[in-house]
Amino acid sequence: MNLLRAHSWLWHVLWLVPNVLIFMLGVLLWRRGLHKQYPAFTAFAILSATGQFIVYAADLSPLVSGDNFWRIYCANLVLEGLLKALLVAEIFAHTVGAFDSIARVGKTLIRGAGAILVLAATFAAAYSPGDSHVAIVSEAHLLEQSLFLMETGLLVFIFLFSAHFRLRMPRPVLGIALGLAISACVHLGGWAYIANVAPSEEIRHLIDYGKAAVYQGCILLWFYYLLIPQKEAAALAVPPPDHHNLEVWNQELERLLHS
Amino acid sequence: MTLAIVLIVASVLALVLILTVSVSRALQVSSKGATGLQPVDVEAFRNLVDPTEDEYLRRRLLPAEFRAVRRQRLRAVAAYVRVAGANAATLVHIGQNALASSDTQTVEAARQLVNDALLLRRNATLVLMKIYVLLAWPNSALLATPVLHGYERMSGTAMLLGRLQHPSVPVRPAAHW
Repeated sequence: MNLLRAHSWLWHVLWLVPNVLIFMLGVLLWRRGLHKQYPAFTAFAILSATGQFIVYAADLSPLVSGDNFWRIYCANLVLEGLLKALLVAEIFAHTVGAFDSIARVGKTLIRGAGAILVLAATFAAAYSPGDSHVAIVSEAHLLEQSLFLMETGLLVFIFLFSAHFRLRMPRPVLGIALGLAISACVHLGGWAYIANVAPSEEIRHLIDYGKAAVYQGCILLWFYYLLIPQKEAAALAVPPPDHHNLEVWNQELERLLHS
Repeated sequence: MTLAIVLIVASVLALVLILTVSVSRALQVSSKGATGLQPVDVEAFRNLVDPTEDEYLRRRLLPAEFRAVRRQRLRAVAAYVRVAGANAATLVHIGQNALASSDTQTVEAARQLVNDALLLRRNATLVLMKIYVLLAWPNSALLATPVLHGYERMSGTAMLLGRLQHPSVPVRPAAHW
């Protein structure tokens, strides 16, 4: 059970490995020139990992007091929140932005969804009992809960919106959205439990490890979708429309229109 | 504790929803059933949404009878709109596949088709919502013309895309659309 403690080897591995991986992914995207296509994701990969390294160093350093650690932690959370907002905007732009006919209504709806989610997150934070007698610790955990609630809600909106219009996300964007959504849902559940139930230290670490493991899986998903060449022509693209069908349809409409 | 349960249930539902959407979209992409367009009787649809027909029925029938007939006509309109919306969804699928073409004219036609189909699908959704409201208040007026016009324009674009993708096959021009 020593593994379920802070600063065990598993704790170090699960904190460091995902962030090393996502930093590497960011660098690889940059080197392959994909940062021009996915600037928000590249910035998220590099900056969120850098932020996590700083928080990790602050956790280990004897020079950083407990209060200062939590301040650094919260500042990093705010930075991650901003990066994720940009990332969600990038996913939305790649999915809907190219089609003028629904881009405007899509933007209006996602802004409305965002406003509702801010209210829901504020409401949830206001009614959460908190999990620590140290205010800044509770606040940090509630901030996590609020950010993941908004992120999950916005991603659900994008998935439902694109499904309603039968819009297909480009493969790399689908990978980014899917990884982000899985991670956000699992983190939301985890932080909701931690921030509201105040579990024992061991259970808390177990949840943290679970979240870190899922995040690591999501990073591998991003590697797959962003770096492994797609077999789009063979596997993804549906054969070109059967002209006979189109013509039959058009003939039918013509007949109906002019009969 | 209640809030924790609510948020955990919400996160699980969100995860299931996102995975379901992703898997169903992936299955749809890999299937060949994208060309299942259903014909729509545009003339019958026009008659159903014609305000003069409604006015005629309103004058001829008792109020209670008129409401019953109007509800039946609204249900029929909803059925047409649903088919038009489903056709639009199919054409979004076809158009998005054609966007991968190397021919710039085909890509442009495909983009136009997807835009028109999306507009129609949006209008179909809005009209359906309006119809459901009107089913409760059948005396109000109905405007379904955005769907009709969108459908006609989309049909023209689909035809153009068909011509560009298969130039060797003669397609009759639809000059009156």
